[in-house]
Amino acid sequence: MIPLSHFIVISAVLFCIGLYAVLTKRNTIMVLIGIEFMINAAVLNFVSVGKYDKMNNSGQIFALFAIVLAAAGVAVALAIILNVYKYYHTIDPTKFDNLRD
Amino acid sequence: MADDHAHISALFSVLASVLPLITFAAILFFAKKGKGSILALCNISISFLLSVLLFFWVWNKGEIHAQLDWFAVGDIRFTAGVLLNNLSVLMMVLISGIALLVHIYSLQYMKNDEHLNRYWAYLGLFCFSMLSLVIADNLLLVYMFWELVGFSSYLLIGFWFTRDTATLANKKAFIVNRIGDLGFLTGLMILFTQFKTLDIVQLFGTKGLIVKSEIVNGLWQTGVGEVPAVWLTVAGIALFFGAAAKSAQFPLHTWLPDAMEGPTSVSSLIHAATMVAAGVFLIARVYPIFDNTALTVITIVGTFTAFMAATIALVQYDIKKLLAFSTISQLGFMMVAMGTGAVSAGIFHLATHAFFKCLLFLAAGAVIHELHHAKGKYLLDFDVQDIRNMGGLKKYMQVTFYTMLVASMALAGLPFTSGFLSKDAILVHAFEWSDSKSGVLKFVPYVALITSWLTAFYIFRLIFMVFFKEIRLNNKFGLSISVNEAPKVMVLPLIILACFCLFPLFSLDPFSAGNSWLFTGLNSETQPLDNSLHLLIPVPVTAGSLIVIFIAYKRFANRARPETEPNSGLEKFLYNQWYFNSFYKAAAVNPITFISNLTHKFDNAVIDGIVNLIGRVGVIFAGISALVDRFIVDGLVNGAGILAKRIGSFTRHLQTGRVQHYLLTMLLVVLTFVIVKYFSGAI
Repeated sequence: MIPLSHFIVISAVLFCIGLYAVLTKRNTIMVLIGIEFMINAAVLNFVSVGKYDKMNNSGQIFALFAIVLAAAGVAVALAIILNVYKYYHTIDPTKFDNLRD
Repeated sequence: MADDHAHISALFSVLASVLPLITFAAILFFAKKGKGSILALCNISISFLLSVLLFFWVWNKGEIHAQLDWFAVGDIRFTAGVLLNNLSVLMMVLISGIALLVHIYSLQYMKNDEHLNRYWAYLGLFCFSMLSLVIADNLLLVYMFWELVGFSSYLLIGFWFTRDTATLANKKAFIVNRIGDLGFLTGLMILFTQFKTLDIVQLFGTKGLIVKSEIVNGLWQTGVGEVPAVWLTVAGIALFFGAAAKSAQFPLHTWLPDAMEGPTSVSSLIHAATMVAAGVFLIARVYPIFDNTALTVITIVGTFTAFMAATIALVQYDIKKLLAFSTISQLGFMMVAMGTGAVSAGIFHLATHAFFKCLLFLAAGAVIHELHHAKGKYLLDFDVQDIRNMGGLKKYMQVTFYTMLVASMALAGLPFTSGFLSKDAILVHAFEWSDSKSGVLKFVPYVALITSWLTAFYIFRLIFMVFFKEIRLNNKFGLSISVNEAPKVMVLPLIILACFCLFPLFSLDPFSAGNSWLFTGLNSETQPLDNSLHLLIPVPVTAGSLIVIFIAYKRFANRARPETEPNSGLEKFLYNQWYFNSFYKAAAVNPITFISNLTHKFDNAVIDGIVNLIGRVGVIFAGISALVDRFIVDGLVNGAGILAKRIGSFTRHLQTGRVQHYLLTMLLVVLTFVIVKYFSGAI
């Protein structure tokens, strides 16, 4: 039986990798992938702590919802990226900084 | 009818005195440089005619007194008006007549002066103040015109103000007169305190307050109040002190010789004939105020002044200074007359003296004028007023010589001249007066007698040195100089004045003043002259005068050697005017300048020091507060601004516009919350 802490550590590592990707990548697609990493870290956490609710399996159900929502989010995000690309002719997130002061 | 007559007379007298004022104002404000002669001459002529008219209206026909309300102080009303009696109309005719002659003379004498307009204006101011002075009926008015007379005299002495000596002389005259005015003012204040009025008629009239007031138990009682009797004496002496300054009596005589810096015509009108007589006039106006002590003071001062000035005149070389000392001496004679109670004799002498002294000055002016021309013609350099440079002028200036000779005879008091009558009257009266006196006062008439001999000597010394023998300049420069007679316009007044120096104008009897119209007109108060004395006195006077004139002739008329500077001790003493100027300089001027310097230094060192110290302390405080302001107050204000700016520029760096930075910030914030929450435990 694999102890829970292994899952938690894996999930934390995944989250950190995702966070790193989100904060550093010069490609919005890669940032999106970083976000997927972090969502999947959260989903992994749901699934692994789902063993404490064997009656309703609420962890697994939450994971399913999260996957669906993530898919929807990715779809929306990709649409936004497409529009951004249309507008700026680049998808480097450092290049569109119109919110600067 | 009589009332109308009085009103018209009063109006005419005011008109006569105001006309010269119009001259003054018109010329001062409207005339161009060197103009104004005609206006001045017209106005003074009309003034003269009015004065003559008034003279015939008023003389011996009772006095005219008209007045208006002037102002009121509390319950006391002041009036201003004119008082015309024998004395004032006589003075009016005298002043305007001599002023007219001097105006005519000045037409030529001042012709080439570029400031002729100023000259006429000042003369106008003088004539106005002098005429007003003699007709004013209120002592306060008299005092005002007294000051104006002094002021116009000041202006005229300093007429050639580019000369240092002239400005020094007019300052001196002004200051010395101020000292005298202090006396006048004191007298006025005492009178006012005692009687609450300064009206001359009320005070000094025959039924006036002074006559009614009496001394009881050492108190001077009047209807109004009473003060210690000594104040009566003080008032008299104070008023005399004022008169002494104007009439150049010892100890205030030093200004008159210096006043000769003015034009000669001015010296003639103001400093010989009219203004200097104002003191004598004032004494005559306020005569009832003088008690025995004051009269004795007047007599002694007058005698001393007459004698002193005559001795000084013996050795002077400046023709105008010599005549100035002669004037002082003659004024002393008038004072003696006043002091001994011979008011009419004093005024009589004032009138005769006015004519002959005016003539002497005008003749001297003519001589100076012609020598000045000669100086210009031959391009020589010498002092035109020094009689050592003159001599022999009889040949060239005959009219001037003879008129001046007549005036000199009058001054010396020789028979058949007006001077004989008046001087005789004074001397006779002085002898009479001394009969009832003792001690020093016994000498008064003798000193006066000696003075009259001295007078004869110095004036004939002048005549002989100026007109006899050869022109001394010929020897001095090795030239043969010829001098012209003065122009007709200048000679005419000389001739007219010379006529007035002879006896017929004043008395038909050439040997007695007692029957003179002038004498009887003024003689209402004094007793008639004693006949025995009257016969005795003139003999030694005339004899002595003739002897000293002969001595003077011997000494000066044929003198070969040129005159030198005074060398013997007595001569030096006299030449330097008894060292009064040096004495005053040492006793009054130097201490005052010394004290002034001290106070100046004190002012500079202490007062200025304190002021500067306060200033410096202020500057230091200001510096400190400036620092406080700059670093603390401004620091706070600027600090707030700078802080806001820093925060602003710090936060704006956060607004990079990059999504990833915002994410990082969010992460950091969340992390911070987490960490804070973790470490703060239970919160």
